[in-house]
Amino acid sequence: MRFLLRRLGFFVLTLWAALTLNFFIPKWMPGNPKQALIDRTHHRLSDKAIDAMLASFGYKQGQNIFVQYLEYLKDQLTGDWGRSIGQNLGEPVSRIVGEALPWTLGLVGLATVLAFILGSLVGIVAGWRRGSKIDSVLPSVFVVTSALPYFWVALLLILFFSVWTNGLLPSDFSYDNAIPMGFSGEFVSSVLQHAVLPAATIVITAVGGWVLTMRNNMITTLAEDYIRMGRAKGLSNNRIMLNYAGRNAMLPNLSGFAMSLGFVISGAILIEYVFNYQGLGYLLFNAVQNADYPLMGTLFMLFTVAVLVAVFVCDFAIFLLDPRARAKG
Amino acid sequence: MRRKTALVVVTALSLLTAACGKSTTGTNTATPAPTKSSYKQGGTVTIANTQGQTWTCQFNPFNPAVNAESLGFIYEPLVYVNLLQNQAETPMLASAYKWSDDKKSVTFTIRDGVTWSDGQPFSADDVVFTFNLMKQTPAVDLYSLWSGAGLQSVSASGNQVTLAFNAVATPYFYNFADQVGIVPKHIFSTGDAAAHPDTWEDKAPVGTGPFKVDPCTPNNIQYTANATYWQKGKPYIQKVEYPAYLDNAPANLDLASGKAQWGSQFIPGIKAAYLDKSQGNNTWSPPVVNVEIFPNLDPSHKVTSQLAVRQAIALGIDRTKISAIGEDGQQPAANQTGVVVPTFSKYYDEAAVKSAGLDAPNADKAKQLLASAGYSAAKPLKLNIITIQGYTDWDASLAVIKQNLAAIGIQINIQDLAQQTYDDKLYKGDYDLAYGSEPAGGPTPYYELRQMLYSKASAKIGDDAASNYVRYTNPDVDKLFDQYPTADDATQVDIIKKIGGHMLTDVPVIPTTESVDWFQYNTADIQGWPTKDNPYCQPAAYNVPDVEQLLLHIYSKSAQ
Repeated sequence: MRFLLRRLGFFVLTLWAALTLNFFIPKWMPGNPKQALIDRTHHRLSDKAIDAMLASFGYKQGQNIFVQYLEYLKDQLTGDWGRSIGQNLGEPVSRIVGEALPWTLGLVGLATVLAFILGSLVGIVAGWRRGSKIDSVLPSVFVVTSALPYFWVALLLILFFSVWTNGLLPSDFSYDNAIPMGFSGEFVSSVLQHAVLPAATIVITAVGGWVLTMRNNMITTLAEDYIRMGRAKGLSNNRIMLNYAGRNAMLPNLSGFAMSLGFVISGAILIEYVFNYQGLGYLLFNAVQNADYPLMGTLFMLFTVAVLVAVFVCDFAIFLLDPRARAKG
Repeated sequence: MRRKTALVVVTALSLLTAACGKSTTGTNTATPAPTKSSYKQGGTVTIANTQGQTWTCQFNPFNPAVNAESLGFIYEPLVYVNLLQNQAETPMLASAYKWSDDKKSVTFTIRDGVTWSDGQPFSADDVVFTFNLMKQTPAVDLYSLWSGAGLQSVSASGNQVTLAFNAVATPYFYNFADQVGIVPKHIFSTGDAAAHPDTWEDKAPVGTGPFKVDPCTPNNIQYTANATYWQKGKPYIQKVEYPAYLDNAPANLDLASGKAQWGSQFIPGIKAAYLDKSQGNNTWSPPVVNVEIFPNLDPSHKVTSQLAVRQAIALGIDRTKISAIGEDGQQPAANQTGVVVPTFSKYYDEAAVKSAGLDAPNADKAKQLLASAGYSAAKPLKLNIITIQGYTDWDASLAVIKQNLAAIGIQINIQDLAQQTYDDKLYKGDYDLAYGSEPAGGPTPYYELRQMLYSKASAKIGDDAASNYVRYTNPDVDKLFDQYPTADDATQVDIIKKIGGHMLTDVPVIPTTESVDWFQYNTADIQGWPTKDNPYCQPAAYNVPDVEQLLLHIYSKSAQ
């Protein structure tokens, strides 16, 4: 119990520290929302109108920073995130985030899970057949693909599967704009089609890391006594590989996986730009560019919470799975 | 509307496809449009204009972040003023107007027979309401008509609406007649719209314009023709698709393939990446403002405040080369008078440029000037120039400038800064040289030159200058700017030429290239686009309310 309480305390403390940094660091950046708006409207608009407009949307110029900080903490915790004062001027932040979040979770989340499963399987097989052809080819190939810059992989995929094949697969947007949004078969298949290339990009570049760590864990695990015991009992190879070795070898990878799930929410900015896929990554980029404090604060808060929750859940899982963690606690 | 690619990475996409793509030889000559006065309705046009964000589906014409999607499409101005044709005017919601003799008040005759898209009749009341709304809510008075231009009262009598000012108001005509969209009183005087006209979302806009929104999603706005539009038989085009592009690369890819027909951003290597890709791909990007070197004229900046140094720079740079290499030939070379040609040729004094010897680079004279200022090969002049990170075309231009100036003995050090840092330095005057552009042009060179040179638009070093970042102060020039509004047309041309003369003698700003309205169009199905020979409006999709003129002219060939 003490272990869990300590973890919980740590969670709250980290959250507060992150929220505080999220508030102050953007304020120290050069520029401010007013200057950004003046730039975006090419100095055509009057200064007074811009001041009044930003004030109506909740930007308090020149208010005491400490008062702002307290209000910010309160707003973050109560979910009153305000309205954007950047590129989406006037749009409620909750709606901006709500519209992008499902696409990010769907695309980056699924691709991350897929990459983990695929990488682990390949790693298990490669570790099991150590020294075989599979082991000498697959891991090295995946190490190379994981070292490729992922926007570049994206560009190649667009070139091969869209430009050179006369649009075999769509190269931009998350669905065909001509199809009304809804749970129709047509819409769903359009979404899936549009997700193929961006998802493939993420999988290709992310899978290598999992393959490598999994293979190494597997080799260590295979040296354990219980594997020899399994063989002696005459268990089938598949059973030993997956249920005995694979299952144990995967444990250390799980916390890494939990972390990467936490990072899913921050999106994949270059993928979003290259494939014109709406997500959270480019929102953050735009927010920073335009000193959009409410949107920036909310996004940073979400990213922090996601990572912290993922780590917390992982800690909790380890607590349940591993008796040693309990004993130490 | 992002004119330059912000992510270098993504620029690579268009280069890559340009380099590897199969080259189909397209014929890029536009079929001359048949001279018919009316066309059958039908067809769809798709716009590829990078927004860098998904649509919020708000259409409030007073919200500067979204009004480029509603002005022109939904809400119409009183009079359309064409910047590209010497302020040629097209009457829209006002069928006529008349200035008072002292040019302090103007009376519009409001058009009869116009209805709002919800069926309610449009009247002079709506016009009065729109302007009075700006008085009540200063946040929607985007051009400071009440607080800055001196608007005193707006009143209607029958179909006549009179705007009375306390000073000469001709320079603001473009703002109040062309830039303000007239809104329906019956919508904006009730509920949330009345309580907060500035923050109201206006999700289902009701306007007098040629299009209605149907439907809008974060990824795409679809406009459909307004069947009750007051210009009978128009618009010919029945549907406009406006997808939200996050970056130039996907937008340019869709333009190249013909999936989108109306483009409004820079395409690097345009010949291979766009013109040769599909039949009927064309481009015409008219120049509107200057891109320039800003020398800091404040006496505290000892080097750049010397006339000889600025003259040497102006003579040392090869503008043609900057245009060809830096801007891919897509932005023309500028001239030292600061008058953008050919757009404003009427105001351009070519002879004066020639006699000042500034019509071509002259390295020898530049070296002499530097020597007179005390610099030589042994004692070279070193200067920093600031520019904006990610503006890849400006970086390329600066590389040419660096080479040019090295040849005359000036060593330039280029500093790429983040936009906000750059702005801060530029506005506060914390730089020696800056590469940049005046914020906005206007219907005549007066607007840009006034921003550049009017001393009251500047500020002392350390304070934010609204424009005139170089801190130029010349009472003669100020006087010319003050005379301009009340002068007649011929005198106005004369005044601009005189100001151009001061640009030649004082070299307060050094124009290099002319920034353009990016425009690419495909003629395979859609015809009637504005062209160099018929520049009936500013062609980029981000030019509002010009989009309306374009949408009223184009038609689908297959529907005929």
